[in-house]
Amino acid sequence: MRSLSEAVTAAVVLLIAGVGAAAEAPSPGAIPVRIEGSPAEGFRLLRAGRPFRIQGVGGHQHLDVLVACGGNTIRTWDVDTLLRETDGVRLIDRAASLGLAVTVGIWLGHERHGFDYGDPQQLQQQRQAVTRAVEALRDHPAVLSWGLGNEMEGPTGSGDSEQIWQEINRLAGLIKSRDRAHPVMTVVANINPAKVAAIRQHAPLVDILGVNAYAGATGVGQQLRQLGWQKPYCITEYGLPGPWETEQTAWNAPVEPTSRQKAGMYNAATREILADPACLGGYAFLWGQKQEATASWFGMFLPTGEKTITVDAVTDAWTDRWPDDRAPVLRDVEMPLAGKRLAAGTTLRVVARSTDPEGEPLSYAWEVRRESSDRKTGGDAERRPEVVPGCIVSADDRGVATIRLPREPGSYRLFVTVRDGHGSGNIDNWPFQVGSGSR
Amino acid sequence: MNRRTVVSRCVGMVRAFCVLLVAVAVAMPAVRAEEDFGDFSSATLTAKAWGAVGAGKLDTALVFTGKCRELYMEKALEQQASLDGFASDEEAPMLWALNDVGTCLFIEGQVYEQQKDSKKALAAYEQLASKLGYAQCWDPKGWFWKPAEAANKKLKELEFDAKLE
Repeated sequence: MRSLSEAVTAAVVLLIAGVGAAAEAPSPGAIPVRIEGSPAEGFRLLRAGRPFRIQGVGGHQHLDVLVACGGNTIRTWDVDTLLRETDGVRLIDRAASLGLAVTVGIWLGHERHGFDYGDPQQLQQQRQAVTRAVEALRDHPAVLSWGLGNEMEGPTGSGDSEQIWQEINRLAGLIKSRDRAHPVMTVVANINPAKVAAIRQHAPLVDILGVNAYAGATGVGQQLRQLGWQKPYCITEYGLPGPWETEQTAWNAPVEPTSRQKAGMYNAATREILADPACLGGYAFLWGQKQEATASWFGMFLPTGEKTITVDAVTDAWTDRWPDDRAPVLRDVEMPLAGKRLAAGTTLRVVARSTDPEGEPLSYAWEVRRESSDRKTGGDAERRPEVVPGCIVSADDRGVATIRLPREPGSYRLFVTVRDGHGSGNIDNWPFQVGSGSR
Repeated sequence: MNRRTVVSRCVGMVRAFCVLLVAVAVAMPAVRAEEDFGDFSSATLTAKAWGAVGAGKLDTALVFTGKCRELYMEKALEQQASLDGFASDEEAPMLWALNDVGTCLFIEGQVYEQQKDSKKALAAYEQLASKLGYAQCWDPKGWFWKPAEAANKKLKELEFDAKLE
């Protein structure tokens, strides 16, 4: 023991464990999950006594596709999503029927949204909400672990608030007093020395550290070991570098990797995550679609529901095989407007040609949208910019189009969506700017 | 030979000489203005390479990384051979050649990727991963990152990309 406070905390843990064992034994419905291992040999989850490696995604849609691709777990960010019914079936029940495990996200307040970790009333309400969530779902067979919060320490900054981490510890203790069957994970936005030190010191009841990491996802394990983290971890969001950490244009528009580049990133990251013995697995982000800088940055599916090549990439990493129908592959790109400032009304020939692995004919849909002016931090909801009419002069079915740049000066993106008509497609986009001169 | 003939032949010879000069100039590779290598230290060359990448001057970046490798690869290999694991944070800065040459190889891989030369990118990453595995590079966030680990990830990305062909 390094300190008196750690000894006291350990005693409390034992007391909770003893009380819990007597008063809150797992019900027949729950599938018990425990952690086995050590820092030296690595860690693993045992679910119903069998090793369970998380091949997971963040999201709640396309669950049948997830199963077909070799995924075994989903993660949500709140409880309501799991309890919401579609066609009379709760999401968590649908997940169970498909054989999927669930990391139950329990949303905790963020100070940037006005939550005050020094306000007893807010804390009490939050504790009651956590208690209700655990009591509602602890017996469900799909539950794998509790995801206590998501980036509540702040998506940026040091994230080492003693107040927040002490509260996380208290909430972890609350959960453990009501549920002995499932480990408690807390989820943070990347890691840094101060944050990890604060979690180690003030939240010792947390069993698993979940780390949302994008560009740095595959270095997390090594960094945690260097920072003295002695417990297991998960990568709770990963895939590709975020818009905050990629190359920017001269007008600070993030340059999005192509669909083909993204596929390599998802595949490599998934394989590296599964190769680390200290890592319990990962959750690729996002098994669905959202607007975050663009409509395509993180989405592994098109807004219209088709799976993209990133789904094929994680399928290959999970199973060493392709899905039954593969997504198109971007081949040739000629994009003279990419990252450039050009005169209004300029007409350009652009090419973004894809091929289909099954030889299916492809359709291409081009559009120009304004650069997003509704950028948020921490993944908060953003509005998608509207289409700018009149920019697509012509387009064929070979990925070639003629574009006329908007008349109004400003920042824009050219998007192309390609579909194979059998449930797969990709979106790619390139930022450009229209200057005040005209042509 | 009369004067007119002599003048005519001289003009012809001068004309032919000019044509020859132009032909040679076109055939010769453009002579690059010498880059400023500063104090020629590995740290300076590496910093200049990063700066060139940031400025979009990819060929210039390769000049700096190439010079760093040329001058310090032998020392880098020597420092790599002296290790049986990653150096501690305290010792890492002393392995300047290993760290800088390793970082330069990573930069080269990045440049070749941007230039769509997968073969050369793979070669740079493979050399880094196989020969300078213990190179480290300071991240202002507060730790050393490992260029060879990043290279291994890039290799996996490129290997997957090759499957798409």
